[in-house]
Amino acid sequence: MQPNLSAMIDVIFLLLIYFVVTANFTPDEGVLTAKLPQGTGAPAQDLAPPQRPLNIVLSPAGETECRIAIQGYPQAPAGFTELASLLVQLQYDPELDLKSGAFKPDSPVVIRPEAGVRWQHVANAFNAAVRARYTNINFAQVSQ
Amino acid sequence: MPSQIFHRGPTKPQMNITPLIDVVVLLIIFFMLVNNIISEQSVQMIVPQLDEPITHELDDAGRIIVNIAPADYAHRERADNPLLFDGEARFIRVGLQTFAADDLEGVTAALIDARSAYPDAEVVLRSDGALYYGVVQPVMGAITRAGIDKINLVAYMPERGATTVQIGE
Repeated sequence: MQPNLSAMIDVIFLLLIYFVVTANFTPDEGVLTAKLPQGTGAPAQDLAPPQRPLNIVLSPAGETECRIAIQGYPQAPAGFTELASLLVQLQYDPELDLKSGAFKPDSPVVIRPEAGVRWQHVANAFNAAVRARYTNINFAQVSQ
Repeated sequence: MPSQIFHRGPTKPQMNITPLIDVVVLLIIFFMLVNNIISEQSVQMIVPQLDEPITHELDDAGRIIVNIAPADYAHRERADNPLLFDGEARFIRVGLQTFAADDLEGVTAALIDARSAYPDAEVVLRSDGALYYGVVQPVMGAITRAGIDKINLVAYMPERGATTVQIGE
């Protein structure tokens, strides 16, 4: 009184092999919500004087690396973690006892990469600005 | 003298597995087809790897994925430094439609179509980390021209268990 299990085991093995082969071992991807580059043609019609933007300039260094600079500030952050803490220092928010900086959390932040900068660095700069709690971040048109 | 029947003993009952196998094979075929459709939508690439990322998971709501595909590669080639790679785009894929890397009008038109069919859908920009900004920015411009002002940039999620540092608090 024993059922013949070999056929079932065959099938289960096939299934197992199939799922092992098709399994996706890459890390999970997530998203950062962003605003798109503006100013594609039409002239600006500002009624109020524009706020001074905080420009983050990225220029390529070597094959894969990039140099980070904040326009008008002499310190050049070495990495994106440092950029994030520098962006916090430049912020003025009395509620959080940040009084040294000149930029409010809703001041415009413009990320200005040169054409040859890798996308990862651009996304990293954006991530740093969001982590420093800026809310109005834009990407600039390509500068050569 | 024992009879012939008694000598052989009673016949053993056996389970009939044929329907089980039928169903399992159907299941295998089903999953293979579905898997092909899913991988068709998402192009193989290495998305940006961020320092202390604050990425969040995609909502299940409707979304239009704009893929900017890098050149063909094998995973081993890019294992050491994913950024040491060709920075030019191979093609752009909006949903299931594929466009040449310089066919920005096509991308805009496809997005306008998709938005009129699904007005609430969010646009997701999925680009390889090694592509040049000079390649990605025109695509962002094409998305803007479709009347969209907000997009989601794809990057890797923070690793599970890693602590994220909150800045400014």
